[in-house]
Amino acid sequence: MAKSLSARNIVKHYGGVVALSDGNLDVHTGEVVALIGANGSGKSTMSKVINGVVVLDAGQLLLDDKPVNFSSPQAAKNMGIATVFQELSLIPQMTVAENIWLTREPMTGFGTVNRSAIKEKTEQLLSLFRGTYKTELRPDDTVGSLPPDEKQLIEILKAISFNPWMVILDEATASLDSRQVERLFELIGDWKGTDKAIVFISHRMEEIFRIADKYSVLRNGKTVGAGDMKDINDKELVKLMIEKESVFSFSRADSKNDKKDKPICLEVKDLQTDSLHGVSFSVHEGELVGIGGLRGQGQRDLLLSLFGDIPYSGVISIFGNAIKLRHPRDAMKRGLALIPGDRAREGLLYIRSILENLILPSWAQYGFPLRIGKAKKDAEQAGASLNLKMAGLAEPVSSLSGGNAQKVVLGKWLMRRPRLLLLDDPTKGVDVGTKAEFYTLLTRLCSEGKTILFYSSTDEELVGMCDRVLVLYDGIIRTELSGASLTKENLIAASLGASNEGAV
Amino acid sequence: MKRFSIPPPVAALILAIVLFLLSGFLPNSYGSDVKVALSQATNILRLSVFLGVIAAGQTLVIISGFEGIDLSAGSIVTLTAILTYVMVKGENNMVLLAIFVSLVVGAFIGLLNGAGITFLKISPFVMTLGMSGVVTGAIIILNHGNVSGKVAPIMTRLIARPISPRIPIPGAIVIWLIFGVLMWLLLERTTFGKNLFAIGVNRVTAKLSGVNVTGMNLATYSLAGLLAGFGGFLLVGNTGVVLIQLGQPFLFPSIAAVAVGGTLLSGGKGSYWGSMAGAIVLTLITSLLTTMQMPDSVRRMVLGGTLLILISIYGRQQALRQ
Repeated sequence: MAKSLSARNIVKHYGGVVALSDGNLDVHTGEVVALIGANGSGKSTMSKVINGVVVLDAGQLLLDDKPVNFSSPQAAKNMGIATVFQELSLIPQMTVAENIWLTREPMTGFGTVNRSAIKEKTEQLLSLFRGTYKTELRPDDTVGSLPPDEKQLIEILKAISFNPWMVILDEATASLDSRQVERLFELIGDWKGTDKAIVFISHRMEEIFRIADKYSVLRNGKTVGAGDMKDINDKELVKLMIEKESVFSFSRADSKNDKKDKPICLEVKDLQTDSLHGVSFSVHEGELVGIGGLRGQGQRDLLLSLFGDIPYSGVISIFGNAIKLRHPRDAMKRGLALIPGDRAREGLLYIRSILENLILPSWAQYGFPLRIGKAKKDAEQAGASLNLKMAGLAEPVSSLSGGNAQKVVLGKWLMRRPRLLLLDDPTKGVDVGTKAEFYTLLTRLCSEGKTILFYSSTDEELVGMCDRVLVLYDGIIRTELSGASLTKENLIAASLGASNEGAV
Repeated sequence: MKRFSIPPPVAALILAIVLFLLSGFLPNSYGSDVKVALSQATNILRLSVFLGVIAAGQTLVIISGFEGIDLSAGSIVTLTAILTYVMVKGENNMVLLAIFVSLVVGAFIGLLNGAGITFLKISPFVMTLGMSGVVTGAIIILNHGNVSGKVAPIMTRLIARPISPRIPIPGAIVIWLIFGVLMWLLLERTTFGKNLFAIGVNRVTAKLSGVNVTGMNLATYSLAGLLAGFGGFLLVGNTGVVLIQLGQPFLFPSIAAVAVGGTLLSGGKGSYWGSMAGAIVLTLITSLLTTMQMPDSVRRMVLGGTLLILISIYGRQQALRQ
């Protein structure tokens, strides 16, 4: 039986932030639609609108050309729409079978859970991926003990256990290995034949071109293109995803060629962690080097291992000395500083004062008993140089706005006069004015001879500010962009692993 | 609504003073005799010292966060009190050695606590509760239930007696004041103190700011054990006798004193001044109820109720926290 779902002119705001301003999507049974867009373009919001997780602000959802309203995820499920979530929704302490059938457990006549029926049905589902499991996966296994890829498979099985007519796969392949992806694609082929519709969200171009029949491209919350996959190639898709003009103007550090003559500040050889698979590069003193790529390709691991926070293998040399970093202190002693990606959880002590936050990494310099007067003076100075707006040093950091709180994080490291700054998406959740201040500051720091390694999820920042950008993909540096090749188009293409042509 | 904020230590102290003044109206209290009133106040302060010192270690582990608590404090107090009693045997020249042993034994037990919590990832509650059992058992084995020993005269002189015949203030109170200043220095004027608050608020931030969280955890529990050990030494100097249950009655009041003093039980915020004030409030209420000849059951109910009321008031003031 042919069914269809259409989303028309969907608008969704989160507070003052527009996530979707004009989202459109058409899905029919028997086809795979790829939903494509850069970071923050609204893909996830779109999928949440059609599976009822968020309620749309304006626009219309049509099921078989009749208007519908999904007030909850349950309502969407009842209409036969299932979602495989990117953030896993399984309960680690429960077994595979319990997770899959949670709230829909088959019952016996006595009102108790029919365990043998559950087991049998689960075995049937598990057999779909039989042969691709790394462990002997059984219905009674506890989910928490499974590797990430098998959790993802359970998530997929859970979604199809509803027997939906439409399945939304939100980055479902990101943690699967190639055999599992193959098997999933075979299954998707079967599902198409049995009158199911699939919405496929992925960042991997080759997967999109293999499996999708149609595409729909989002850019800044707007659907900017849709059509048949056979009428388009990867270059054209990337072009659709890119915005023409950028909101910010950047002032790059002048005369960037002479930096190659400067000594090498940081050299990394074959760095490996759980999500990095052999990364090598070097950075000269005074360079502003960007780290690009989609979220979760190993950028975080790269910065954390350089700062000694997570175990790694490989060689890290700072100013020519190979060192083993076991703790952030080791890195701090060599003049490194890290502005972490999650300000609240990793960068600040929210209920403590601004003073204590600013001096936290530096207390040891203030002797015993601590010279609080000197600390206050230094903190005042650091605050003033960053134009930090505060009621007083004794106020808790929780009283500051996002931008000012981020200045405290930056300030606490600048007070130590670091030689190499590692920045993990420092402008996330920061207002426009403060962003502009940050850009000026980073350029100034580089011209003063400081070296900066800078990950950003905003492509404009990387293109506008950096001397070079290393693009990470699946835990390796897939491409390095610099000079004329450093364009937004090349950056996005490289992020998606589309082709290596942008490389120098 | 927002700006009614007296710091908890001050609030607790005011409460103590008001309660004490009100107690003058009780039938068998000091009435209008200022001299009796003063000596009664001094006595209550003297009794607060032991709870206050035992609450010092508790303050540190509670500030260190991560569900920090030390349930072994009571048994450490008993152990070091007995050790002191047995070692000194009435000899003044053994006192320094006894202090030293008390501190080292306390610190060692604390270190074991810290190691279990840090390396074996046992929750502080379970780890220190278990340790309390182990230490209590060890005390029973070591003594077979009877102990022979004696407190040295110099201990009684310094701890239990007034500092001079003219000034009727017991030595214990002076020791406590000095102790309080040292605790303030430790918490507010050392890198250790600053890092302690940091790990209490957020261990990820602390580590990424260069704080050695593992080392801090070990040091904090060791220090808590050491302070409990010191508490045992002081306590036996006051009582002059030991019993198997000497320290245990101080355990829950030591946690309550920290809470009454406004230290966040979730960690990261607090002061030793607060715990001192808390110790005074709790000791005062207990002794008032005893003066009123209330049965033990009523004393417990009043104490528990007071705690709940105080902490719920602080809870309202902490609305800024999130």
